[in-house]
Amino acid sequence: MSKQIKVALIGNPNTGKTSVFNQLTGLKQKVGNYPGITVEKKEGICKLPRGVKAHILDLPGTYSLNTTSLDESVVVELLLNKNDKDFPDVAVVISDVENLKRNLLLFTQIKDLKIPVILVINMADRMSRTGISLDIALLEEKLDTKIALVSTRKGTGIDRIKELIADYKNLSISPNVDTTVIAPDYFEKLKATFPKEDQYKLWLVITQDVNFMPIEKNPITITASFATKSKSELKRLQQKETILRYQFINGILKQAYKVDINAAKGLRATLDKILTHKIFGYAIFFIILLTIFQAIYDWSSYPMDFIDESFASASEWVKDTLPPGVFTNLIAEGILAGIGGIVIFIPQIAFLFLFIALLEESGYMSRVVFLMDKLMRPFGLSGKSVVPLISGTACAIPAIMATRTIENWKERLITILVTPFTTCSARLPVYLIIIALVIPEGRFLGLSYQALTLMLLYLMGFGAAIFSAMILNKIMKIKSKTFFVMEMPNYKLPLIKNVVYTVWEKTKSFVLGAGKIILAISIILWFLGSNGFSDDFANADEIVSEQIEEQGFSEFNKTNIESSMTAYKQALQDSIGKKTYVLDPVAISDSLRLKEMALIEKATNQEIASYKLENSYMGYMGKAIEPVVRPLGYDWKIGIAVLTSFAAREVFVGTLATIYSVGSDEEDTIKNRMAAEIDPRTKKPLFNLASGISLLLFYAFAMQCMSTLAIVKRETNTWKWPAAQLVFMSLFAYIVALIAYQILK
Amino acid sequence: MSILQHILVYITVALALGYLVKKFLLPKSLFAGKKRSSKSCGDGDCGCH
Repeated sequence: MSKQIKVALIGNPNTGKTSVFNQLTGLKQKVGNYPGITVEKKEGICKLPRGVKAHILDLPGTYSLNTTSLDESVVVELLLNKNDKDFPDVAVVISDVENLKRNLLLFTQIKDLKIPVILVINMADRMSRTGISLDIALLEEKLDTKIALVSTRKGTGIDRIKELIADYKNLSISPNVDTTVIAPDYFEKLKATFPKEDQYKLWLVITQDVNFMPIEKNPITITASFATKSKSELKRLQQKETILRYQFINGILKQAYKVDINAAKGLRATLDKILTHKIFGYAIFFIILLTIFQAIYDWSSYPMDFIDESFASASEWVKDTLPPGVFTNLIAEGILAGIGGIVIFIPQIAFLFLFIALLEESGYMSRVVFLMDKLMRPFGLSGKSVVPLISGTACAIPAIMATRTIENWKERLITILVTPFTTCSARLPVYLIIIALVIPEGRFLGLSYQALTLMLLYLMGFGAAIFSAMILNKIMKIKSKTFFVMEMPNYKLPLIKNVVYTVWEKTKSFVLGAGKIILAISIILWFLGSNGFSDDFANADEIVSEQIEEQGFSEFNKTNIESSMTAYKQALQDSIGKKTYVLDPVAISDSLRLKEMALIEKATNQEIASYKLENSYMGYMGKAIEPVVRPLGYDWKIGIAVLTSFAAREVFVGTLATIYSVGSDEEDTIKNRMAAEIDPRTKKPLFNLASGISLLLFYAFAMQCMSTLAIVKRETNTWKWPAAQLVFMSLFAYIVALIAYQILK
Repeated sequence: MSILQHILVYITVALALGYLVKKFLLPKSLFAGKKRSSKSCGDGDCGCH
């Protein structure tokens, strides 16, 4: 196999680096993380002329080699470490034709590291509209490099990049700027101390203060013969270096870069005025958010229903087709349910990232961040935290994945930690059923008490998120750069290819990352609920059948059978009355008998399932935690539901349906059954105002979602944060629920 | 057939448990080749801590 040319794509954010990467690699790309950190690493293979291949590494966007964030330090560490397996044979610096001056700062820094560099000037299609003309030959001469003028939108110039990469050995590696002139004495000392090292490389090592490798920096700081300057002095020298570079760049651009002011239209300025306006800006953002919500709630409900039904049918098919037995049950109720529980999130994730990609690609997201930053900063959050916090009301999983757009680690971590407080859609089934049970019907100022309660729960979730963010901001000791530098990229039509890649990558990383964990836990939950060690569990069928023979069905099932039979009789009589059917009395009697038998069989199966669950490992666990949940007003059955709903909150309703053996999770049936449940200790309804409010508050604040924990682990790269989140949120929820129950009971 | 089904269930559950233990409890260094030094971070603005 011939050696591949190692290429690093480097550039400022919003220069179309990813578009160049996509066009160079097509679908031959791989997305992962840099080892030990959660910065995305994108790499791919590109076919070059004459059968040569290049390994392309798309590095995080950076404005310069003076790092301010983890993403940027990844670039610097790679460029300074020749032993890194990804150290490039050639660096391709992507710049944007409209921001060439700023982009060239990074170019000259990389050039000074004596790495072969190609300059790509992207967005060439905008030149005529913005009145820009370039003298490419002069630029190549002055910058001592080769240039590719590219338009990723029109797909032009990509072949030129490939040619230049293939010929990288002919590129000059002479530096652009002599940095030593900023402090000749200092650099002389540096040279004397480290005669074998490149001076600019040493300078970069000394002046970095973020995430730097000790092997590189320590020899310099600990060498007694070489005294480093103070931090402020180094900063001053860094500023001098930047000025020197801009002087060099200005000199070149004066001759090679012309802008015809008259040709440049003011559309961007007009749009900026509207989109960042104090009133219209927020109004437009609000409308866009409403659309996103509509998509996440409503549009995704169609594919979600389809997925739900498909998995239910698949489960039925497995039960009907495979030989009956425990493994068949595991496939039908554990594995398929587990996979279904993962796949069902795909539409929501895809819709959210579709919108995020569209907003980012179009350049609008930067305006939103600018707009919201002032509001969010006092709480330790960034303008970019708005999207995760708001989309968290649909589902915390895509919301937490969306925090990757926040560069500042502290702000990103706080956003990740507080997002699960916002009311996600999985809480809704729990809220709706409990509210319907315990909140009386009635109105206040024309609004129903039940609607007000629901609204209050949403507000409490958002309030808890903001309040926690404020506290975390105060107590977290993570040093971070807090300045706000926001680049306003040009508005452009989103590239469909980039949008599709984003949606595909995010969905894939959820399914493959968190999905495996959810599936594994679903299998274990199924096992715990379907197996038990006692004789009661093993002989559940006989015991329950005997109980039914001796004492009859439970009150609920008795009433249910009676009411179902009455309804069936009535329907039959109505049909006969309307002459829909003509039946003789024997047929009517047979029909009623069959219906009754079916209802009895169903009720028997439900009571067996309920008895089995009570005596399963899960049941024992529920009883074991009863002393803990009793002060909140719950019994062991609710305890089991709370335990199982750790998998996902919506499982609460399904588990109660199994425990109360109603056999269906239709809201009305469970609601009636729950309303009829009497607490044997107090002889009062188990679900009353006190226990209901306690449950609502518990679900409002508790971290009852293993998928969220899995995704937090993936995004923070440690179990420390999800563990802290689980403990804090559970304790907080417990205390709030306890106080509410003890006051209201 | 029933015994086989039970065996398959236990294998599946063991695999699921094993996966969770590997994922959550065992140190990553057992499975990863080269580990990044946790001391490599400067002022903590990195997500490694």
